[in-house]
Amino acid sequence: MSASQAILTLVVMAPGVVFGTLALLWLFGWTPGERLLSWITGLTFSACTLGIAALTWIVISAANRSAPVAVTFGNWFAVGDYHFPLVLMADRLSLPFLALAAVLSGLIGQFSATYLHREPGFLRFFLLLHLFAFGSLLAFAAGSFDLLAAGWEMVGITSVLLIGFFQLRPAPVENGLRVFGVYRACDIGLLVGIFAMHHWAGTASFHDGFPALTGTRAVIVSLLLLLAASGKAAQVPFSGWLPRAMEGPTPSSAIFYGAISIHAGAYLLLRAEPLLARSVLASALVVLIGLATAIHGAIVGRASADAKTSLAYATLTQVGIVFIEIGLGWRWIAVAHILGNATVRTMQFLRAPSMLHDYHQMHSAIGGEVSTGGRQIEDLLPERVQLWLYRWAFDRGHLDTILDRWVIDPLVQLSAYLAKLDRIGTPWTSLRSGDVAPISLRGPAGQRGD
Amino acid sequence: MSIPQWVFRPPFLIAVSIAVPWAAAIVVTALRRHLRTLACMAALGSIVVSAVLLREAPKGESLYQALMLLFSCLTFGATLVLPRRDCTVGTISGILFLLGSTLLAYSTGNLLVLLVAWILSIVPFLWPGWFRARTWRPLAGLLFSTLALALAIGLISASTGAISISNLRGRNPGGAGVFALLVVAVIFRKGILPAHAWVADAVEGGPALPTALLLNGHFGALLVAKLIVPLFPNMDSLFPVLSYLAIATALYVAIRALGENSPRRLLAFLALSQSACILSGLESRTAQGIAGALVHWFVVTVSTVALFGILRLLEVRFGENLTATKHLGLAEHAPRLAVSFAIFGLALVGLPGTLGFCSQDLLIHGTLTSHPLTGLLLPIATAMNAVSIFRLFTRLFLGKRRTGFTVTADALPRERWILAAGVLFVVLGGVFPNAIVVQHSAETDIVEQAVHTPANLDQVEPRSHVGDPVRSQTLRPMIVADNH
Repeated sequence: MSASQAILTLVVMAPGVVFGTLALLWLFGWTPGERLLSWITGLTFSACTLGIAALTWIVISAANRSAPVAVTFGNWFAVGDYHFPLVLMADRLSLPFLALAAVLSGLIGQFSATYLHREPGFLRFFLLLHLFAFGSLLAFAAGSFDLLAAGWEMVGITSVLLIGFFQLRPAPVENGLRVFGVYRACDIGLLVGIFAMHHWAGTASFHDGFPALTGTRAVIVSLLLLLAASGKAAQVPFSGWLPRAMEGPTPSSAIFYGAISIHAGAYLLLRAEPLLARSVLASALVVLIGLATAIHGAIVGRASADAKTSLAYATLTQVGIVFIEIGLGWRWIAVAHILGNATVRTMQFLRAPSMLHDYHQMHSAIGGEVSTGGRQIEDLLPERVQLWLYRWAFDRGHLDTILDRWVIDPLVQLSAYLAKLDRIGTPWTSLRSGDVAPISLRGPAGQRGD
Repeated sequence: MSIPQWVFRPPFLIAVSIAVPWAAAIVVTALRRHLRTLACMAALGSIVVSAVLLREAPKGESLYQALMLLFSCLTFGATLVLPRRDCTVGTISGILFLLGSTLLAYSTGNLLVLLVAWILSIVPFLWPGWFRARTWRPLAGLLFSTLALALAIGLISASTGAISISNLRGRNPGGAGVFALLVVAVIFRKGILPAHAWVADAVEGGPALPTALLLNGHFGALLVAKLIVPLFPNMDSLFPVLSYLAIATALYVAIRALGENSPRRLLAFLALSQSACILSGLESRTAQGIAGALVHWFVVTVSTVALFGILRLLEVRFGENLTATKHLGLAEHAPRLAVSFAIFGLALVGLPGTLGFCSQDLLIHGTLTSHPLTGLLLPIATAMNAVSIFRLFTRLFLGKRRTGFTVTADALPRERWILAAGVLFVVLGGVFPNAIVVQHSAETDIVEQAVHTPANLDQVEPRSHVGDPVRSQTLRPMIVADNH
């Protein structure tokens, strides 16, 4: 193993090892102090950042700049002609994302050491931060879609657990459940897409060439990956979960929905770009979804009442535009856009809790309140349209209502009907009232991260 | 002084592994003291003997020895986790009796002995002194399955005069009638649609851990792997029926679980849905599907017994009226139980970092390869199960507890250690899955090749083996020897 391969391995594994060790020690009864925890976190992500800087230097200074640093560990498991390759890869696409994940995780770790000081879930937050960093580094450094899916799922589960971080309140917990449901539903696209690649191309690896798929097969796999990417990136029609995710602590909102997790969908599409290039239909759909999301985010964001939700929709608008860029084949513009958007949004999210303080400082500096007057673009529309749009934006495009009415309610009703079927033959005394809850998956009404 | 060689011979070791728990059950009933200690020692004895059996077994023929070891370990864990309130003479002796019967079923190659083991395994659930079910459906399910198996075995011995499984391999003994009876036995024992309802009834009305052990003996899957697939390779047109029923069950109970609020019933549905996937994997008759099914067998068994164990511990600590209709906030008082529940639950539904991820990955590939359209339902059912287990986790453990319960009631040291061992199994299995998958990949060949008739065996070339080129040369003679 060369030095660059060793560095890549260490960069990806470090947060995972820290998570595993701390979790195991806690399970056996040892809880580290806050200072030790923040020191370990700082050390881990500093080392990761330095490692990625070194890797970037190695890739840039190599004679062939497009040649990636790849480490092959053989197969994670193999049965017959099917194998799950364990390949890590750092190329010109993955390195910016790796750097983003390592730097922002370290930054969030340092910020949270103060922000969550004496919070009961301090250790839980840091454990999940390390697991998230491991998952995202694994997804970005994966040399195959199989491994990418493993990291992808880890990002998903940590995201959900951090939404429910303030576990004593029911709203964050229920919203976390809702996000989990959307993630799992959309991840079916990724799982089936990977299967299709194995089935039709014999591989889902991209470190030594992309799976050879053309025609209808390329379209099907592209659409399946688009489903997964849209779910993770909260694109229309899956945008309803994004404001619910704002229930988590601000640092996790910053790194998940301002920076890394929300852009993971875009990364998946960038990775699958050779496939998209072979499928006009899928590319067009990417552009359309991006366009719809950008418009949706811009309108709904204007009617959001709290800072974090406004920022989330601002991020969503930009991710929609990133999708358009990817659909049009402007790969490097999309990467630059992602890096800029992620960095700015992280900073904005982290400043959000002190927004009032910032305003007060600004007001005292200028000697009075800032004028809230001026013309808005919606003033150009007729008043009836303005009212309709406001109602539409206030209910966040009715996306949650549609999901409830067309997916969740029928499923719950079907479940209740099956429960009745199951009771056939049981004496009426054995029935228990309230066994089936018709609203168990809908989450609390009106508690969507506001 | 050297140990005589006959001590290491499989028949003796198998007899010891079965006799020890049965003898311990008698001792427990007579002595009525030191119940947990005696049960643990008996289970430990079975673990040691099963481990020796596994070590002595030839490569590629160690599936049932591995299952014996697994079930012995599960029983050991269950007796340690069993709350003091449940640690009665009836429960302990019933569990030990179940252990001996299950080991007998795993180890036998004789149809009549299999039938006896099958009947003995359900005796604790029929006997009033042990775990007799309170409703009629569990009794009916178990009795119908036994009746169907007894008829099938009777017809096989009447039509062929043979009762050795190895002699009957590939001969389609009794034809479609016997095949149908065996499928009926599987349907009733495993709780496959439309005979699924008894499982939830048994779990809700019966003792949690013994019922979990009964379900996780997976006698239905055992019948498929041991009898149906090897004995009836020519039933190509009928095999998919079993797969369709299994996938329909997985989907049906997954939907059913979405609206269920009784924690016990919900866990029963999840266990049923995930274990139905084992059948669809075995029936897929692809290398990935069968290996996935065998690995999934281990994952489902460990995870569901652990989940039922944790649920029982919660019931004992916080009252038996637990419900998923509201947030109970138990994590505040039992954080380690909460984390263990989350890990086992996520392993059950195949989240990465656990062994369940690998088994689900293989299962999905296998079933999609053999039945693309119905195979699509498997990830959908799994996704719904993931939502259900996460919902149960959030309702039980998150939220604020309102009853003024202030003491910490987390896992006791003995519970903590055994749960930690289970967590290590599913997590380390997820990090290094090849150690387990390769083992079952070898078993896969036996099950997969058994599908082909002896007459066709000459045309069947063993598949090449990743990481084990020697096996591709040795497999075929071994199968031929096994068949004749």
